[in-house]
Amino acid sequence: MTPILEVKNLTYTYGGNSPFVNDAVSNVSFSVKSGEIIGIIGHTGSGKSTLVQQLNGLLKPTDGSVLFEGKDIWENPKEIRKIRSQIGLVFQYPEYQLFEDTVFADIAFGPKNMGLSGEELEKRVYEICELIGIKEEYLEKSPFDLSGGEKRRVAIAGVMAMRPQVIIFDEPIAGLDPKGRSDVLKMIKDYLTAYNATVIIISHNMEDMALIADRLIVMNDGKLVAFDDTDKVFLNPQMLRSIGLNVPIVTRVFEQLKAKGYNVPNNIFTVQSAVEYLMKLKREGEHRD
Amino acid sequence: MIKDITFGQYYQTDSPIHRLDPRIKLVLLVLMIVFLFLAGNAWSLIFCGVMLFAAMLVSRVPFKMYLKNMKPILIIVIFTSIINLFYTDTGVTLVDWWIIHITAGGVYRALFMAFRIAQLILLSSVLTYTTTPNDLTDGIERLLSPLRFIGLRGAVHTLAMMMTIALRFIPTLVDETDKIMNAQKARGADLESGKLFERIRALIPILIPLLISSIRRAYELAEAMECRCYNGGVGRKRMKQMKLKLRDYIAAFLCLAVSAGVLLINLLPNIPYVD
Amino acid sequence: MEKIIEVKNVTFEYDDSEQVKTVIKDFNLDIERGSFTVILGHNGSGKSTLAKLLNGLYKPASGKVLVDGIDTADESTEIEVKRRVGMVFQNPDNQLIASIVEEDVAFGPENLGLEPDVIRQRVDDALKAVGMYEFRRSTPHHLSGGQKQRIAIAGIIAMEPECIVLDEPTAMLDPKGRAEIIDTILKLNREKNITVVLITHFMEEAELADRILVMSNGKILADSTPKTVFSDVSLLKSVGLDVPQTTELLYALKSGGADIETDVLSIEETADAIAKAFHLEEI
Repeated sequence: MTPILEVKNLTYTYGGNSPFVNDAVSNVSFSVKSGEIIGIIGHTGSGKSTLVQQLNGLLKPTDGSVLFEGKDIWENPKEIRKIRSQIGLVFQYPEYQLFEDTVFADIAFGPKNMGLSGEELEKRVYEICELIGIKEEYLEKSPFDLSGGEKRRVAIAGVMAMRPQVIIFDEPIAGLDPKGRSDVLKMIKDYLTAYNATVIIISHNMEDMALIADRLIVMNDGKLVAFDDTDKVFLNPQMLRSIGLNVPIVTRVFEQLKAKGYNVPNNIFTVQSAVEYLMKLKREGEHRD
Repeated sequence: MIKDITFGQYYQTDSPIHRLDPRIKLVLLVLMIVFLFLAGNAWSLIFCGVMLFAAMLVSRVPFKMYLKNMKPILIIVIFTSIINLFYTDTGVTLVDWWIIHITAGGVYRALFMAFRIAQLILLSSVLTYTTTPNDLTDGIERLLSPLRFIGLRGAVHTLAMMMTIALRFIPTLVDETDKIMNAQKARGADLESGKLFERIRALIPILIPLLISSIRRAYELAEAMECRCYNGGVGRKRMKQMKLKLRDYIAAFLCLAVSAGVLLINLLPNIPYVD
Repeated sequence: MEKIIEVKNVTFEYDDSEQVKTVIKDFNLDIERGSFTVILGHNGSGKSTLAKLLNGLYKPASGKVLVDGIDTADESTEIEVKRRVGMVFQNPDNQLIASIVEEDVAFGPENLGLEPDVIRQRVDDALKAVGMYEFRRSTPHHLSGGQKQRIAIAGIIAMEPECIVLDEPTAMLDPKGRAEIIDTILKLNREKNITVVLITHFMEEAELADRILVMSNGKILADSTPKTVFSDVSLLKSVGLDVPQTTELLYALKSGGADIETDVLSIEETADAIAKAFHLEEI
């Protein structure tokens, strides 16, 4: 099966004497299967944002290529807008891009740019709102009257309404309160399930990554330093720490136990797996007694 | 990419001109512009040119930086030159064919004007390359401060504060514009094609978020300023005090000498055949 | 302990085009000098309003807020209040005024009308305190979010405040920037004895406080030490808040039937609690 997205030797350098050179990307390759959730981790300036902006053709790679369903996205530069509707990109703080009078019109902006109109357009908007739980009475409100978390959801819905097969999120939960965070994570999962989409998420939150990402891309200084199953990446805390990242808190608790001289596994990355492991241990202990 | 714009003209290096007090630089710039316009004959204009060249050397700013500044005004220089070339009718006739009538006076006026405008731009560039936008703002504020005696204290302070904030926020807003443009492009917005009217309409999704975010920024900044005890500049004292140093007096003396030179050279007869 | 801020029966409301909305009602709170208090609450719980009441940016509709005994509603001592209680906001970009770091830090002291050499001294000290002295001639635009936020803090401490109120200062930062800010805050609190009131959504940050206030609908739901507050997991979840992952783990184990200590927070203590409650095989 062809991977839905394939990145080959991608390189991007910012021109001239720009002070933003440290955001460049050099020689990155990876491929993504349909239906996967890929996490991208790396500290600020490691090239994550520059990388994802090339995936949907907002930036044209200096070198290398991005293949979507086996075809180079820059094969026909005139078609690049179509690519952007198939590979959606939700920027950091997407609520700052809202501009229409009503929530409905704002969500409809993307699909309208794809050429949808009339009933078809309306259906698109209603469908996505139903899926992610934006109530109908909100649709006629001004997006600027909503709370921060609601604005974020509307802005994300605006990208989802284009129904991209691949959807990329640049720190989707940054700046939200805990409820806002879980709402956004839930809507991402709902979208994934409903349309069998592929999701790429940039995040700093290792605990969330452990919960949702199938595989992780680790970036440092514009280079891809690891691309593997999430579990395998978290099995290498030294590497993560050397580039300013860390493992989930639960994992650190188990590291601590090991340091205290207990024989505990090092593949515990979520609260759930920790509970399962310890409770099993307890039951076995009681059995013996 | 918009991101690459560096705001302001300042060229970072260390030169005697860089170290001058911005106030003295502003005053001397005005003085030299006046005398550039008082230079009445070819000799005094050339003298100005030589002095300016010397200043450019002393400033340690590469010449290609100065040339870069000339590019945008090239069209104006050419335009003025052409007008002068064809509409001056003094001195010896050089060409007289069909409706084209060129005289030595015309050629002289054309070159004279071109050279004067070029010097004007270069002269201003010497100031902007050697003075940070902040120092310029400070210099202007302090030069205008005598206006407080005629009841304009608030106005001077407000103007200076506005300039300071503008300098601080222009790069931020440029970045933000870039981000919003990308975000709308990711939603399929078409900013690159279409007729003029369509292109202007396509800017709405960029301008509205930019406007809203600017208002939000302005509001937050106002609160932050209030939290830092700002109350319109009453009782405010600056950390950096400006004091004229020996080098400032020397610079002023040199400029006065150049001015006197221009007046003296103006007395010489102009080059022949042009009047 | 001496009180630096006293909030007495304060009600605050604002006009929202059609109706008057009451954000905070009959609110009472004392902040002790030198303490480190964290305020938790979901968006719209009234915590930002409370923060702005503490330094007189907002004035109570009824009741009183006293800073060092000075009434914040008194216009003649407004500067005195703002100097004593400094505020740092969420977006570092929107609180820096000048395009040179040291000139920005000087803004507060300049407004206080101090002598130039005193201002210079304070600016240098403030920049050293936040570890940004070497960047004093830089342009904020070219710095990271964490560095910009540290400059914003320097701009406040250059006024030599008694108390700093920080309204979600780390919300827009990456983990590195967040750690920088938290280290700075802790240092100011411990070494300079500056009172800190920190509003945050990050539970790892809340753990570090002496005292946590949980707000919802303009009221205080809980007011105690981090250990006690986080031990009421159901209360926190009911108002849309999280608990630290260590607490979440211990509670999940307890509700699964394990006999385990739950009022611990740090990774080290959590590991100890687990070691005590389960028969782990030793290496």
